[in-house]
Amino acid sequence: MNLTHDAEHFNKGQAPGMKTRVFLNRITATIAIGTALLLMCQTASAEDEISDHERATVDTSYIDMRTGPGRGYPIFYAIEQDEIVELIKRRTDWVKVRTRRGKTGWAHVSQMEETFGADGKQLSFNHANKDEYLARRWEIGFNGGDLEGANALGATLGYRFTQNLTAELKLSQATGQFSDSKIGSIAVMHQPFPEWRVSPFFIMGTGIIDTSPDTTLVQTEDRSDTSLLVGAGAYIYMNRRFVLRLEYNNYQVLTSRDENEEVNEWKLGFNVFF
Amino acid sequence: METGIQRLFLSALVLPLALLTSAEHVSAQTESGDQNPGLDRVISPDTKRREIRQAEVDTEDFEIGIFYGVMNVEDFGTNGVGGLRLAYHITEDFFMEANYGITTTRETSFEKLSGSTVILTDDQRDLSYYNLSLGYNLFPGEIFISDKYAFNSNFYIIAGAGNTNFADEEHFTYNLGIGFRLYATDWIAIHLDVRDHVFEHDLLGEDQVINNLEAHAGITFFF
Repeated sequence: MNLTHDAEHFNKGQAPGMKTRVFLNRITATIAIGTALLLMCQTASAEDEISDHERATVDTSYIDMRTGPGRGYPIFYAIEQDEIVELIKRRTDWVKVRTRRGKTGWAHVSQMEETFGADGKQLSFNHANKDEYLARRWEIGFNGGDLEGANALGATLGYRFTQNLTAELKLSQATGQFSDSKIGSIAVMHQPFPEWRVSPFFIMGTGIIDTSPDTTLVQTEDRSDTSLLVGAGAYIYMNRRFVLRLEYNNYQVLTSRDENEEVNEWKLGFNVFF
Repeated sequence: METGIQRLFLSALVLPLALLTSAEHVSAQTESGDQNPGLDRVISPDTKRREIRQAEVDTEDFEIGIFYGVMNVEDFGTNGVGGLRLAYHITEDFFMEANYGITTTRETSFEKLSGSTVILTDDQRDLSYYNLSLGYNLFPGEIFISDKYAFNSNFYIIAGAGNTNFADEEHFTYNLGIGFRLYATDWIAIHLDVRDHVFEHDLLGEDQVINNLEAHAGITFFF
């Protein structure tokens, strides 16, 4: 409102004012369309909220309700003791809740643990700490480092099926001055002391290594070979969901030539678990 | 936290017991056999020990989406770029993201001016990249539209590494960027991103580090 009013005032009796007004109108139209789209999304989400969410009864003096899933968002409501809330969804360490009177907001899991369900049992929310780290099932990681002088980059996906053993899928790509390689492996990782903050591990696996020499330098064919992998490293639990991971891998490339090739890889990265 | 709560319960259970026994001991000494119901009521809290179970709540920490924008590849023009984005929100502050994007580059000015010189074939002009990055939500906040609506938003910084496939070659690539995420709802977000992709190539004779700027808008869905 203010904007149009000011613009009119400013452009009174001036010929170029028309242009400005058209421009302003266009901006207003764009903003209106954008807003309409946003509001449509809002209504859509309001409609899909008829469901059978878990209900929790507050078992402490009060729980803070914030406008967003973060510690900086303002607290706009306090859920009282014995009030029943619906648990709509969770993002990181925040739970979106709705009261019976229709107030919707986000509460932190540490406060939400002081609630109980319809069956009278106290509710617990996994959250990232060392206990959770020791009980983790899935983990994903990004890492970078050096593979025989080339820049190496990789991603891992792990499933921990016992306390000490993890099955892992490793993908890695190295880009060097003379050749590029891609390595895909499956491996089994053993952690003898999973509870240590700095916990060593050993890894064994097999995979495929694709090597393509730099075409501007040498004219040789791309090759694809089977590789065997042994390695060792350490998990260092940082905090929350973060684990620092340092590792050394030794690949034996089973080439079609007389001699096998040996490739060394050093990597540093981080894993997150969930 | 769980252990904290358990500890709390244990102390809630053990402490009154200990107090009770010592109190009884004292009362037995002084009043010999008096049960002292008044004191008992004061010191034993009215807490029932509850069983604990996992709350059933849907977790939405993954984000998937598409983006489209423009990307400048040094010497090879500015062109449309499109791609896919997958992210995992680790905490309210940190997220990890994987991106894949493709663009087609144009002829260099040198190729245009000389008329006949061709540096790359048509296929080689296609550029694709992927990267793995770590992002940090620097300024979380809210955006207001009129006095009725408020939308949560984040301004984030992001950095990572990846590979660019250009001119039949793989190039190790760093990326650095800033972005803005506006939550249209809890599970739909609109992104505006600016990224710099830095890599080295020798297509024009000698090794050269190039900065390739990209600006894009995207939409993502949380699941």
